[in-house]
Amino acid sequence: MRPSMSRGVAGHGRGAFRAQNNAGRGGRGGGAFRAQNNAGRGLGVRGRGRGGGRGGANGRGGMRGGNKAVIIPHRHEGVFIAKSKDDALVTKSMVPGDSVYNEKRITVQNEDGAKVEYRVWNPFRSKLGAAIQEGIDNIWIAPGARVLYLGAASGTSVSHVSDIVGPTGVVYAVEFSQRSGRDLVNMAKKRANVIPIIEDARHPSKYRMLVGMVDVIFSDVAQPDQARILALNAAYFLKTGGHFVLSIKANCIDSTLPAGKVYDSEVDRLRADLLKPAEMVTLDRFERDHACVVGSYRVPKKQKTAA
Amino acid sequence: MSSLRNAIPRKAHKERAQPQARKRFGLLEKHKDYVARATAFHKKEETLRRLKEKAASRNPDEFYFGMIKSKTVNGVHRPQSEANKYTQEELLLMKTQDIGYILQKAQSEKKKIEKLTATLHSLDGRPSSKHIYFAEDREEAKEIRSRSSENKMASTSVDIPDYIKRKIASSYRELEARKNRANQLEKIHMDMALQKELQKKGRKRKLREDEIVCPTTKPVFKWRSERKR
Repeated sequence: MRPSMSRGVAGHGRGAFRAQNNAGRGGRGGGAFRAQNNAGRGLGVRGRGRGGGRGGANGRGGMRGGNKAVIIPHRHEGVFIAKSKDDALVTKSMVPGDSVYNEKRITVQNEDGAKVEYRVWNPFRSKLGAAIQEGIDNIWIAPGARVLYLGAASGTSVSHVSDIVGPTGVVYAVEFSQRSGRDLVNMAKKRANVIPIIEDARHPSKYRMLVGMVDVIFSDVAQPDQARILALNAAYFLKTGGHFVLSIKANCIDSTLPAGKVYDSEVDRLRADLLKPAEMVTLDRFERDHACVVGSYRVPKKQKTAA
Repeated sequence: MSSLRNAIPRKAHKERAQPQARKRFGLLEKHKDYVARATAFHKKEETLRRLKEKAASRNPDEFYFGMIKSKTVNGVHRPQSEANKYTQEELLLMKTQDIGYILQKAQSEKKKIEKLTATLHSLDGRPSSKHIYFAEDREEAKEIRSRSSENKMASTSVDIPDYIKRKIASSYRELEARKNRANQLEKIHMDMALQKELQKKGRKRKLREDEIVCPTTKPVFKWRSERKR
């Protein structure tokens, strides 16, 4: 019965989480719930939009029809899929009851009545979210990871990255603009694992005292020399064998060339800087002429096996 | 008493039908049909009576402008034509207000689409975009190829209750409908804006088909360039 998902968040059940309803339920779906309950640990789910929940009875799972939402773990660790009225990518909120950019929240209740809140991740506002939607194989950002986030802007995506890495991980969010940096700092006040840095990512030496060794660098700076910026930061902070995720906006690098050529030239530049690209997806469905490259840094040369 | 009467099965009542010989008169009229027919008749009778009474107690000095502005032609009432009821400026103003309304509706529709797409990510459909893998040599390429085909096979198939599936489907239907509506509104808005521009001053002409640079099915106009001081 248990689906083929090997990864789940530590401390939570695997498989689909369902609502629990103490009162008599309709026969439909009741059996399914019980079966699910045997497979994984069933969690109570109560879908909710913005504002208060409907009906006062919090102990019971929703309305007569039973549970309103099903939360399924995504292929990527720390990311989930919520199936309710919406069909959305979600992350488990670090700060329940708080929306960062007015995104929708879905509250879930597990067996012992503890509430878990998930926040909808809008791929139209986040390149990382879009890359996941487009089926990228690895994002390397997982629970417990240390992430350097270049080009954090107002911290909308950063909040989701912070949700993914959880309390054991840490996100260093670098943003140059004072104005959007203010929003970033406000967001970081509520999240212990986000360290906001208002500095130019071109000069990593300025914030070298704040940032430790990191596992992953996510870069969304949209500058003509973004490959160089990434390489500089990797040289300072990225561990050997660490990974990078780079979002490319073709227009920002060369608006006269076709997007495909710009991507190729960027990938070549990365190779020159010991950054070995592994895969690339285009994000055209969400943003015009954008792509996302994932790769690794200073990977040891492969030993030639005897032919 | 009635319970006793109910205990014995009663004989089924059979309704009388129209005799075969009178078949041409249609269904046999029953009392309730007669009642409906009679009330309709009396209503008409009453209307006629009231009209007659009104005609009898008419005031010969009564006057309305409608009496001289309109007339009957062969017994058909013809009101006076209202072709020039509004001036050109008034018409232009009314049309711009219509455009404003359409634009507002189109914008609100777009906002709703944005809100819906924020939570509807069509996660079950296969991603449509290009996915490129970078390999150093042939061996690695082969490995990646086999791995990616494996990934495609193993899809997350958790059984979702039917009522949630139905909800999701209806959400997607709503999104599709809203997209259609937004498209239509956009088209109407473009049309109206063109009409408004055409009503303004300035010399213009409709381009012939061979003069149009980028092909469209819609008419294309060109304004004579005018020097402005």
